[in-house]
Amino acid sequence: MTKNINENLVAMQRAHGPLLEVKDLAIDFTTDDKRAVHAVRSASFSVYPGQWVAIVGESGSGKSTSAMAVLGLLPGTGHVVGGSIKLDGQELTGLKQKDFDKLRGSRMGLVPQDPMSNLNPVWRIGTQVQESLKANGMDVAHEKRSALAKALAGAEVEVRGKDDETFLGSDKLPALMDAAKTALQEAGVSGEAYDQALAEFERDWVPGSETRWRVADSLVKAGLDEDKAWDIAKRYVTGSTMDDRIAGLLAEAGLPDAATRARQYPHEFSGGMRQRALIAIGLACRPDLLIADEPTSALDVTVQKKILDHLHMLTDELGTAVLFITHDLGLAAERAQHIVVMYKGQVVESGPSLEVLQHPQHPYTKRLVAAAPSLASQRIISAKERGQDAASLMEHHVVGEEKLEKSENIITVEHLTREFKLPRKKEMFKAVDDVSFSVKRGTTLAIVGESGSGKSTVANMVLKLLEPTSGKALYEGKDIASFKGKELLDFRRHVQPVFQNPYGSLDPMYSIFRSIEEPLRIHGIGDKTSRRKRVRELLDMVEMPESVMGRYPNELSGGQRQRIAIARAMALDPDVIVCDEAVSALDVLVQDQVLRLLNDLQAERGLSYLFITHDLAVVRQIADEVVVMQHGKLVEHATTDEVFDHPKMQYTRDLLDAIPGGKLQLGLD
Amino acid sequence: MGKYLLRRILQVIPVVLGTTLLVYALVFALPGDPVKAMFGDKPVNEAVAAQIRAEYNLDKPFIVQYLLFLRNALTLDFGNTFAGQPVIDEIARAFPVTIKLALMAFVFEAIFGVVFGIISGFKKGKWYDTVILIVSLLLISVPTFVTGFLGQYLLGVKWSILPVTAGNNPGFIDLLLPAMVLGSVSMAYIIRLTRAEISSNIAEDYVRTARAKGMSNRSVMLRHVLRNSLIPVVTYLGQDIAALMGGAMISETIFNIHGVGWLTYQSILKGEGNLVVSIVTLLMLIFVVCNLIVDMLYAVLDPRIRYA
Amino acid sequence: MWADAWRSLRKNPLFIISGILIIFIVVVALFPGLFTKQDPNYCTLDNSLGDPTAQHPFGFDFQGCDVYTRVVYGTRTSLMVGLASTILVVIIGTLIGSVAGFFGGWVDAVLSRLNDIFLALPILLGAIVVLQMFKTNGSIWKIVLVIALFGWVSTARIARGAVMEAKNLEFNTASTALGSTPVRNLFRHILPNSMAPIIVIGTTSLASYIVLEATLSFLGVGLPSSTVSWGGDISNAQTSLMTNPMVLFYPSAALAITVLSFIMLGDAVKDALDPKSRTA
Repeated sequence: MTKNINENLVAMQRAHGPLLEVKDLAIDFTTDDKRAVHAVRSASFSVYPGQWVAIVGESGSGKSTSAMAVLGLLPGTGHVVGGSIKLDGQELTGLKQKDFDKLRGSRMGLVPQDPMSNLNPVWRIGTQVQESLKANGMDVAHEKRSALAKALAGAEVEVRGKDDETFLGSDKLPALMDAAKTALQEAGVSGEAYDQALAEFERDWVPGSETRWRVADSLVKAGLDEDKAWDIAKRYVTGSTMDDRIAGLLAEAGLPDAATRARQYPHEFSGGMRQRALIAIGLACRPDLLIADEPTSALDVTVQKKILDHLHMLTDELGTAVLFITHDLGLAAERAQHIVVMYKGQVVESGPSLEVLQHPQHPYTKRLVAAAPSLASQRIISAKERGQDAASLMEHHVVGEEKLEKSENIITVEHLTREFKLPRKKEMFKAVDDVSFSVKRGTTLAIVGESGSGKSTVANMVLKLLEPTSGKALYEGKDIASFKGKELLDFRRHVQPVFQNPYGSLDPMYSIFRSIEEPLRIHGIGDKTSRRKRVRELLDMVEMPESVMGRYPNELSGGQRQRIAIARAMALDPDVIVCDEAVSALDVLVQDQVLRLLNDLQAERGLSYLFITHDLAVVRQIADEVVVMQHGKLVEHATTDEVFDHPKMQYTRDLLDAIPGGKLQLGLD
Repeated sequence: MGKYLLRRILQVIPVVLGTTLLVYALVFALPGDPVKAMFGDKPVNEAVAAQIRAEYNLDKPFIVQYLLFLRNALTLDFGNTFAGQPVIDEIARAFPVTIKLALMAFVFEAIFGVVFGIISGFKKGKWYDTVILIVSLLLISVPTFVTGFLGQYLLGVKWSILPVTAGNNPGFIDLLLPAMVLGSVSMAYIIRLTRAEISSNIAEDYVRTARAKGMSNRSVMLRHVLRNSLIPVVTYLGQDIAALMGGAMISETIFNIHGVGWLTYQSILKGEGNLVVSIVTLLMLIFVVCNLIVDMLYAVLDPRIRYA
Repeated sequence: MWADAWRSLRKNPLFIISGILIIFIVVVALFPGLFTKQDPNYCTLDNSLGDPTAQHPFGFDFQGCDVYTRVVYGTRTSLMVGLASTILVVIIGTLIGSVAGFFGGWVDAVLSRLNDIFLALPILLGAIVVLQMFKTNGSIWKIVLVIALFGWVSTARIARGAVMEAKNLEFNTASTALGSTPVRNLFRHILPNSMAPIIVIGTTSLASYIVLEATLSFLGVGLPSSTVSWGGDISNAQTSLMTNPMVLFYPSAALAITVLSFIMLGDAVKDALDPKSRTA
């Protein structure tokens, strides 16, 4: 994308001056005891018209806070204490909420982070889109204009493109189609050209979104002369109803069957669909600036890619500038022309995307570039393409083919199937459907899939937290489901889990010492002193200081908690660790550290890992073999190199494509 | 919706049976002889007692008594009081009074509870928010009978604004003070509930999204904060109608209103088991029906649980 | 979690005020002799409705008893009933609720219906019916038992919800995978993590049981007149309401302050344990 900016656009942007200019912004939060916490300090960045600018940083870096300050929507006790924010030359700091109301929606829009909590559950989707139009007087203006357009149906209308407010109405669509067909036949368009033109009309002529000018334009393109095309457009495109417009906006955001969907409630939507609705809301009044705060981080990678592609197309078409907040450097570089890196409330680096990626200046950015899994896999792929030795770039040294062949299987899964009863449905839902693979001793097998693929269900059956409906999971050749009593306890000792959520998998009422000691107590290992010694060793193993023993999980950061969870899993000296999305909730740098720790532990102790993840990029850093799952079925099973170099199935290719930064042309360094 | 309703009604049947059985057991199966109680301090005439026992099925095994009671109750035949009056007549006399009282209390608590709750919730930290909070805390802390006496003394005796007691056939003015006393605790709870809901909803993400649309503060508050906050408040109010009818005992005793609460209390004191069981059964049916209505209302107000 | 809660409690003025009041009330209940030298049951009609004096700051009631002394001695009764009922209710409610929430299935269905049945019967009504039946000899323990009989419902509901929520938390799955058994999980992880809402409802229930006891005594089915209690005194003061309202005022105020203290404590504890639902 970055390469495609044409120079004219850049020149135009410079000539116009920045749309948004933030200078030396400082934001404080006030704590309960009236102390000020500096959330943002001397942050400066600009967004030019039509430009995508990304702010990159980890949680707590102040990136969202800065963006919310622009909108005048700082949460709680947050307030701007210094610097300036200018939108098109107008100073926004110190503005009253009433004045912000006038700017929000029409001049700046928001696409928020969490699609689950950002739509009011009690209002229909369409109503929530309509609110946006209503708040900015667009509904009135638009109805008026429709009426005006009807009156002026005969006159020449000079508005072009999306500025044209005369939308196609759903009531007139069939008549328009008929007229177009007749006109095309009269103009002598036939055969393939005719079919193609009709297909295009069917696709493009969305009521409430397609304007008169664009209808005329597509008729001309199909082969009608200008007069005839405008004649038809004027007669049949005479403005749409409010409902049409709402459906049109939702359709523009990529929601299929928008007219029906507009009458539904948020809980009837999937996460991706809700995010599309939020995009429609954010763009409803055609703002100049759209603030997209991690708009897709809660979604599956393939959905994320589709939505961002769509958002890109839409903002390009409308000429909307986008301030894109993300924690993913690869994603930022792929989507934005300009990157701003924030760290601990300050802007540490900013510049054109490729520049920042290829020649990071600030040490933090350097670490970020080095750690980003999406970039790392990209780097390995391009190194291979150039015929260079890629192995040196990898943290995880993939075991050779021969070794994989030789190793015995420690975990084997044969035709594993698990069905669930869905509420109020007769037929059973197959969460896992005939899956077979095996984990070889001392290696890592990753199961990759999106939400609902059944990957975690497989993990739970391997851990004997769920019983399979049919098929078997074997540990050292023995059926896991058959374990009972002492045998089960013995199995638990050898197969340990690390779960996704480091906040949830540690009991908040247990001290760190008690948490790590728990497995030793359950299995009755050692006495008080020897257990204490063992806990110390384990803390040392995961590179945590002894002093955390008396502390509680809520006093630790996410990464630290995950280390504690790993220490607990290691307490019994297991052979196999099942990692269920063990690094997904962590910031990039922390994620990198935890992955390194897992790699080191494997090298030292010959552990075997079953690694469940949705993130193919992480797989590259840890796995020897990959199993790709979709809708409960095994799609592809191969070595990591095979999967990355020669993916066999389309779905695997989609997943690879969706790794952010996948299309970046990175210089090697 | 129809299916949902049907399922809820089916779920209610065991509860109705269970509660009547519980009440019946409490009244009739426990030690203590209602027939003896009839004689009061006078010596018990065994022949008369046996006759009465036969008449009220008291000589039959407990479970038979209960089933007979159920069968008769289905035809609204609740038997007679010891004085020979049909129970249904007593109830028919008392219920309209209590319904009137409960409805007045309901209107009182709904209007003042919601209005003060909204003021308090939206103007958090202002002096009148503090005043409203303190008053509602006091109303919850002071038992109803004390509130009743206080109201009776101040409004009735000292300032003579409102009638001190209501008497046999009370009108609107007579019931005003008792209704306020009856509704006061619930009003305080509604204030607190409304306030808490508003302050938690204000922090919701969708409220921020609504602001980002450019909506005015007023419409954000109305359409997003208030609309969502009122769901649990309406639920509480719905369930409270039944509670008000059952809880009227104190108010009716203090203000001498001859309604259901007064009748229940009197019949408990006199050991009129039949009357007690009948009234409690009816109250419980009202409770169950109110709950059903609340469930329906909830489904209308909150699309998430529709047809669930 | 408890350390956090304690830290936020310590700073909450609501907690400080209610804490001081409750400590004071407990001291009065334990050592009434420290506050008055009079005998609460020494009453002579000579003093009937007598005005306050230096020795008798609240004056005398209709029976000629010292109102101040009776208020002091009534504290123990109210507090005992409240505390004992709450302890009993929390034990019964937690037991039933956690069994229902933990086992689910038909156990839950049966217990939940049982819960519904008791819920449909107002606690005051139920208590009066039972107390009227057992009228023979009144004692504090009878009232406590009756309150527990009808009061467990709300605690059981809360406990059930809390246990069901805690049951689904990831650390239970983690513990199971470490080799722990479901029953061990219940006692080591689920119950400790369900205590917060139970403690909150316990504190507010305590307040409401004190009111309930007073109400029952007021209605004449509660404690016998030989036991000094606020409810009974308020009931007796009815007769002199028109002439001497202060006789009614003092026990009422004592009752209200006690109840208020526990409600404020409940609010403060709720804020501390669940920062999302701040009331103030």
